[in-house]
Amino acid sequence: MTDLSIPSSQSTPAVEGVWEQGLLRMEGDSYPENSFDFFSPVILWIEGFLTRTQRPLTLELRLIYMNTSSVKAMMDIFDMLEEAHREGRQVRVRWRYDPRNERVVEMAEDFREDCTFAFDIEADEADEARGAY
Amino acid sequence: MKLAERTETELIRHIRAQLADPAQAANPLRADLEALLLLSEAQRIRLERLIRISDGYHDLERSRNLSLIEQYDRQIQRLEKLTRISDRYQKHLRELNQELKQAVLRDPLTEIGNRRYLLESLKAECARAQRKGGGFSLALLDVDHFKTVNDRLGHEAGDRVLREIARAIQAGLREYDLCGRWGGEEFLVMLPDTPLDTAVGVAERIRHNVSQIHLEQTGSPLPLTASLGLACHQPGEEYSATIHRADLALLRAKATGRNRVERLD
Repeated sequence: MTDLSIPSSQSTPAVEGVWEQGLLRMEGDSYPENSFDFFSPVILWIEGFLTRTQRPLTLELRLIYMNTSSVKAMMDIFDMLEEAHREGRQVRVRWRYDPRNERVVEMAEDFREDCTFAFDIEADEADEARGAY
Repeated sequence: MKLAERTETELIRHIRAQLADPAQAANPLRADLEALLLLSEAQRIRLERLIRISDGYHDLERSRNLSLIEQYDRQIQRLEKLTRISDRYQKHLRELNQELKQAVLRDPLTEIGNRRYLLESLKAECARAQRKGGGFSLALLDVDHFKTVNDRLGHEAGDRVLREIARAIQAGLREYDLCGRWGGEEFLVMLPDTPLDTAVGVAERIRHNVSQIHLEQTGSPLPLTASLGLACHQPGEEYSATIHRADLALLRAKATGRNRVERLD
């Protein structure tokens, strides 16, 4: 019932949670000084969605640079999804990247390593990529 | 078989049989023995319960230990994964940084060094000359009648000419010489540890290379030439002073008919 909307800043990505669609988007660089403060509402939103609904959840990520604490927060989020998935929930991650920055793929693959839920790593269409910058 | 060696069960069975034997009914020890047997039975049940409870605690402790070890292993794995991903980001950031640094020093049109690159190189070369002695020469090159090329053939042809000139300069350099685009249609060549007499040879080679650029390549119907001004860095002077002299030499080359190399000692 609650949407989440955090505008991007120089050190944090834009976050948009659309409750009705079961969709959480994150886009940009992530190197907040206090990653706990930044990621708390995101983690709460996902937790809320997973406990208060039975509907599928999709994370659409366009993350470019991440500092260590952001990597840890993302691992926590993926652990939550993994747990939900093992309990029979339908969860999915779509990790999108700009084809001009192929190097992001290596990190996405590392993240995906222990996940048994659907985790797609997809290049953005050229037009889309241009629009995003 | 002596009584002490009997097993507990056999002993109890024997005592029960004795207690049930009518012949022992009047035995004065019978009542005490019966009470002792009951007590022993109660003790046995107590002991078994104690062991069961104790075993339960033991099991609990053991499984807690195992889960702690599992949690510990999992945390270690997570930490390793975290470090791996984080290291990768850091490595890519560093590479990106290097690429940016490269890009910042390159002229995007001609793909040789830009003015910033030249200034950094000049500063470094000045410092080196100061430390080790020995002067460097530098040449300023200006494309002759470049404005005409641009005006008659358009800026795209002008850009092509500039790229060709950059190639012609590079082809004329020795291994350790440097060049870059100083601005507009002006290029700067730096010749480390080179006296003017030697520098003239390199400059002439470059001038010749430029005059040999095939017009088909540039699409220009005009003859393409360049003028060069040469100067040598004097001990202790700022590089701007050297550039100033090279500039004066270049002006003289332009004034005395273009497509030539002039030097200012």
